[in-house]
Amino acid sequence: MLSRTMLRNTLLVAKREYLERIRSKVFRITTILVPIGVALIGFLAGVGGKRLDQGVRQLAIVSNQPQLAADVQSTLKESEHPPQSIEVFAPGTTADLNALNEAVEQHRIGGYLILSRQPGQARPQATWVSGSATDFVGRDVMKNAVTDALVREQLTSRGMTDAQIKALMKSVKLDTMQVKNGQAVASNAARSFAGAYVLILVLYGAVLIYGINIARSVVEEKTTRIFEVLLSTASSDSLMVGKLFGVGAVGLTQMAIWTAMALVYAGSSLAAALKGHGLASLGLTRPELVFFPMFFLLGFFFYSAMAAALGSAVSGEQDVQQFIFILAAPLVISVFMMMYVMTNPSSAISVIMSLIPPFTPIVLYMRICAQTPPWWQIALGIALLAASVWVMIWLAARIYRIGVLMYGKRPTLPEMLRWLRYS
Amino acid sequence: MEVLVQLEHVSKTYEDKIAVNDLSLKIEAGSMFGLLGPNGAGKTSTIRMMIGITMPDSGSVTLFGKRYSSEALKRVGYLPEERGLYKRMKVIDQLVFMAELRGLGAAEATRRAKEWCERLQISDSIHKKTEELSKGMQQKIQFISTLLHDPELIIMDEPFSGLDPVNAVLLQDTLLELKRQGNAVLFSTHRMDQVEKLCDCICLIDKGHAVLSGGMREVKSRYERNHVIVQFEGADSFLNHPAIAEYKNYAGRAEIRLKPHADAQDLLRVAAATSTITKFELVEPSLEEIFIDTVGGRADA
Repeated sequence: MLSRTMLRNTLLVAKREYLERIRSKVFRITTILVPIGVALIGFLAGVGGKRLDQGVRQLAIVSNQPQLAADVQSTLKESEHPPQSIEVFAPGTTADLNALNEAVEQHRIGGYLILSRQPGQARPQATWVSGSATDFVGRDVMKNAVTDALVREQLTSRGMTDAQIKALMKSVKLDTMQVKNGQAVASNAARSFAGAYVLILVLYGAVLIYGINIARSVVEEKTTRIFEVLLSTASSDSLMVGKLFGVGAVGLTQMAIWTAMALVYAGSSLAAALKGHGLASLGLTRPELVFFPMFFLLGFFFYSAMAAALGSAVSGEQDVQQFIFILAAPLVISVFMMMYVMTNPSSAISVIMSLIPPFTPIVLYMRICAQTPPWWQIALGIALLAASVWVMIWLAARIYRIGVLMYGKRPTLPEMLRWLRYS
Repeated sequence: MEVLVQLEHVSKTYEDKIAVNDLSLKIEAGSMFGLLGPNGAGKTSTIRMMIGITMPDSGSVTLFGKRYSSEALKRVGYLPEERGLYKRMKVIDQLVFMAELRGLGAAEATRRAKEWCERLQISDSIHKKTEELSKGMQQKIQFISTLLHDPELIIMDEPFSGLDPVNAVLLQDTLLELKRQGNAVLFSTHRMDQVEKLCDCICLIDKGHAVLSGGMREVKSRYERNHVIVQFEGADSFLNHPAIAEYKNYAGRAEIRLKPHADAQDLLRVAAATSTITKFELVEPSLEEIFIDTVGGRADA
């Protein structure tokens, strides 16, 4: 009888939390703005990447040897991302150099290359002059171009034809493989990283938006003393669980909307790809497809319960701001550890970290992406995380319940522990 | 009469402050009970123990004849002192949610909420968000949310504070109506005039102690009618009468306090002989005077 009342209250609270949030402006705004933001970031990253690849678009070559200048020019033109224009000054004068300096300063050209070689010498003196001290890409492109040109020059002088040289100097494509379940299978390092990155991004965003949302709503109930009325009819457990389920459902609804938007956007091309190659074409393997939502949900509930506990412990809105740090810290640490865990997925540190609940969602998922860990580690990590979600909710409910007795001042840690024993 | 709430020798201490000290009281069905006292006397602490938000350190609290149970709380309507509503929630949603938590079905909750909003003249605001409403309106909404599930015991902490006189009277009349229907109403206040008008029983608390309690008539009868107001024309020599302990004479109107057990009728005879009396009234002490008398002038009413 009592448990039925509890279930009913839990569902009522969850329904209220869900409907209030779904109807709120914040929900509508984030539902629309986040995909736009992601698309924008993607677009900018794409543009930035392209620019990086392309390197310098307009440049000039100044040399005392016209043949050398012409060789470097043709090497650059045949490269993967040929510059739009290459002006050649051979031989160049001081007036040319002055004009080029001016052109660089006015951003008409990206930079210019000075090549000087005394007759009879094999190697030229090469200088790359550009407007930026950090033009690493331009530097590398020029270095490779000059080296290639010198090699071509040598090969030509030893009687090879242009076609032969071209075939010889074509770069090699490197495939990578990975040992999984005792067999070498095709791997894609970038894709493994991408999976973990997306989880971090999604989890971090969800925790920031909804974790703080939960903490705020707990604080609101405390400051307005609504919880006195609530607690005079419902248990703090059903209030807390209801709150988390309600807000969790909002998070899932939003994810579902975003996924649907992405599917519509990707449209038929995606459907065709799925038909042809199955899930692999999405860059996801089957275990990842299972573990991603699982770790997202567990992580989401863990951090939400933590936010609820923090919200229960503080007395005002302003205090919530200070606690955001505590919520975000384990996620930030996980991000810092990313490189290490991905390259050393089975090291002691990675294993231990993946079994500590606040880090489990991201670190264990990273390990699964990098190299399938022993099943008992996956099971233990998930079990520990699930148990700690339960403990967090229990803790939050106790602190919330006891918070009724508090007015004004922020409780000290010993006080909180004393309350826990009382309730 | 059925006893709905009974406190026996209840004490409660917070950290280093004694909030309630050996307090006993009972509230019967169909009565209006006033819990009185200056700020910080222990009124809210007492109320919180009645509905199981806190537990007494010693003594016992029984609700509907039993120790605290969450089922019993569904028969109680509780209005806390602070105005607690979800700010961004619509009025009607808020009322229905609260009623559902207390066991009502959604349809019935909606019907009753509309009925009550009609009754307290806030039907126009039913679809507005709470934060758009004035404080007084919000108070009415919270008042309604306390009553929607038709509780047998209504407990209200300072229900009239911050209301304009018209609305205060509206809520007072509503409470009187509920009392007539057989519900028990307990409210705390530091306003003596409200208690004097509304309550059948009172308990005056000071520093966690019950300093005065019982039926209103009985409490007042414990205090002598020793105040006299005389309106007169002519000589004021009767003010030297031996029965008078002290007096204030405001040109034709004298407020007199008599000595204990003095004979007021003799004073009237003497006064009538020397001057023209237009009014001679033996006044029973107001609750406020009793309050100040008992608490010792510390009341902040």
